[in-house]
Amino acid sequence: MTEKAEKYKLHRGLYDLLKGITQPGMMKMMADWLGAVFSAVDEGKPILFNQFTVFSELMVALDIVPLPPELWQSSQLNVDANACCESIDAAEEAGIHPELCSANKAIIGDIMLDKIPPPSMVVLPTFPCDNSKITYQAVAHLTGAPTYFLDCPYWMDEGEAMDYWVNQYKGLISFLEKHSEKKLDYDRLKEVAEESNRCLDYWLEGLELLKLKPLPLNGPFASGYLAGLTALGTPAATEAVKASLDELRSRVDKGETAVPEEKTRVIWFYYPVFWDAGLGDWMAQMGAVTASGLVGYFNVEPIDTSTPESTIRGLARRALDTPMGRQGRGASDLWIDDCLRAVEEWKGDCVILAGHPGCKWLMGCYGLFRDIARERGIPVLLWDVDLFDPRPCSGEESRARIEPFLNTIMAR
Amino acid sequence: MTALEELTKPADTLTNPHIERWKEKDGKVIGYYCTYVPEEIIHAAGMLPYRMRATGSTNSELGDLYASHLTCTFCRHSLDQAMRGEYKFLDGLVALFSCDHIRRMFDAWRYGKIDLPHSPFYLRCLSVPFKVDAPAVEWMAGELDRFRRSLEDHFQVTITNEALRQSIKTCNEKRRLLRSLYELRKKEAPPVTGAEALAIVIAGSSMPVEEFNQLLKQMLGELEGRDGFSDYRARLLLAGGELENPAYIRLIEELGGLVVTDFLCFGVRDFWDLVEEDSEPIAALAKRYIQRVSCPRMIDHPRRDKFVRDLVKEFKVDGVIIQRLKFCDNWGCEGTMTQWEAKKDGIPCMMLEREYLMSAVGQMRTRVQAFLETIRR
Ligand code: SF4
Ligand code: SF4
Repeated sequence: MTEKAEKYKLHRGLYDLLKGITQPGMMKMMADWLGAVFSAVDEGKPILFNQFTVFSELMVALDIVPLPPELWQSSQLNVDANACCESIDAAEEAGIHPELCSANKAIIGDIMLDKIPPPSMVVLPTFPCDNSKITYQAVAHLTGAPTYFLDCPYWMDEGEAMDYWVNQYKGLISFLEKHSEKKLDYDRLKEVAEESNRCLDYWLEGLELLKLKPLPLNGPFASGYLAGLTALGTPAATEAVKASLDELRSRVDKGETAVPEEKTRVIWFYYPVFWDAGLGDWMAQMGAVTASGLVGYFNVEPIDTSTPESTIRGLARRALDTPMGRQGRGASDLWIDDCLRAVEEWKGDCVILAGHPGCKWLMGCYGLFRDIARERGIPVLLWDVDLFDPRPCSGEESRARIEPFLNTIMAR
Repeated sequence: MTALEELTKPADTLTNPHIERWKEKDGKVIGYYCTYVPEEIIHAAGMLPYRMRATGSTNSELGDLYASHLTCTFCRHSLDQAMRGEYKFLDGLVALFSCDHIRRMFDAWRYGKIDLPHSPFYLRCLSVPFKVDAPAVEWMAGELDRFRRSLEDHFQVTITNEALRQSIKTCNEKRRLLRSLYELRKKEAPPVTGAEALAIVIAGSSMPVEEFNQLLKQMLGELEGRDGFSDYRARLLLAGGELENPAYIRLIEELGGLVVTDFLCFGVRDFWDLVEEDSEPIAALAKRYIQRVSCPRMIDHPRRDKFVRDLVKEFKVDGVIIQRLKFCDNWGCEGTMTQWEAKKDGIPCMMLEREYLMSAVGQMRTRVQAFLETIRR
């Protein structure tokens, strides 16, 4: 192995595991993305850190490889539940406060330990949280990579908020052009945006099918989100999301359901516990299916590609609606309203929230949400579990919290 | 009572005789949560801008209902005070997305979890940009104009450009006077302690600014005859977020570390930069508030970094202490970056984590003592 190839061993191992997959779908999409990252590393091509609410269309149009650092973290947790721990510890040892979101600590630690390919550019919006804003300033400080922030107004319905936001997006185009030394071809962008529209149609159709009762397939419709972060706007991403949809459709046609007897429907309106992949299946064995989750939740209009201006506006508009960005960029209402909508439309019996220490914006909505949920008779479980670090609350401890909650609901 | 005594008193209580007198004359008081709310606009509306504190709070039981265990304790205590009706002297409240904690606390007000003193109560969350460039300034100007109009509509007042200009001048005067006070702190034997300086800055946002300016002028005169403090072991810069308790600094100073300057929001970040007096007032305010020396909420770390280094030189600082409320992410990373830089420059620097109520005093004492040892001036 060359020195370069030895780096990022865990991710290269994951890539080796997945790269043989030819069937379109989530796994192939993951393999394609890792493959693109490693080619960029090996060939010295620019890599862009796109924070987890920044979708890939502009990168696809400019042929820049996206590397969402939070996805880099979460993907390795499928291979090793403790994969982020070393970097989390390294960041804390370097003085980073322990209450910073562990995803962010892991990013800082990864950079310090050289466990993530260094970025040539960094892009993020000013949402959803303080963690992310200040962490990426630290990333810029540590790597010296040019960083572009998309500055998001707090109230999008006021004044010229949308114009300001669209101009942020135009600034992003200039930033990417400058640092990649490429010029955006608007015909290419149109193609990409249309491809992205096609992909999102499949995503939205998938979400509709998850409203069926009993649920045809367990878990949120996550493939759209993965496409969004890594390849949205490419035919491969569209094909992958369509494959997920086809599977869903075929199950519906055949009358197949997620579990033999659906006893309760869960709305998991937060990110999953990334290192505990079996948790959803374990709940399903009890008859509790997850019909909607923040990861797959999307609510957007297609992009009007009739002119370059309308295309950029459409992309900018869509960038406000990415999972977590849509709910986290403003007042509590955004998350609360979407969560209530998810309960209603996906026919949830209860809400489960993995209370990720660090996620202060979301935890700060909880008190208000609890009151509303109580009024409406929606049972809610919130417990503290770190999504990137199994040490504070183990899988057994999580199950010990979830089981009695579900039992109570199913006994009703 | 000397002017210094008078100016160091308001920090001890939530409200004070100045506010009471103002209220007796039917004056309106508008609370605001952070230094990005332009006090000039409130002042030009004929109202008293009051920077929110939680002084006097002893627990946060009620606030905890709508905060989480990850919310900084300042916000929990402040929300608790609100729920207990301790801010009944307010006629309105203005906040912004200063941080995740403040914005969520403000939502509890919006959702009616507070027993509001009046109905309708003026509530506004400003949409303040995070960037410091020209488009952000332009956005801020639009936002400040909306703010101005909403105050006018709610209170049926008119805020003229002339009134705004006058308010800018008055608030600038306050800033100039505070800078004069800080100039004195550059001396080998500064005439005020860090604890006194904090209390004075707090007074500046807890009473009518004209009265404050008057007292401050008087106090600067008084200080000419005061012996300076020279028996210290080290000159310190105190950085960090919300700090409204002079006793915290007193504790550091009792151990021999004299705080000669700061990088606090009840400190230099509040008053260092002036507003242009001859420009269109809203545009001038927007420019000043966006491009002033920033808080870590703003995407502006390199400029902050340079500002702190300059302060260290100008005030002949021997060591930097960063105080950070637990759970504050902005100051968590910012403080760490400051530590990294200080280390490179060979400036002793330590981070002290704290809760809103002073606790673990023994531990803090030990850490500060050890820090002062390492400075060995
Ligand atoms: S998990 Fe929460 S705190 Fe962490 S980066 Fe995401 S939104 Fe921010
Ligand atoms: S200390 Fe932190 S959480 Fe508290 S007000 Fe300041 S920035 Fe916000």
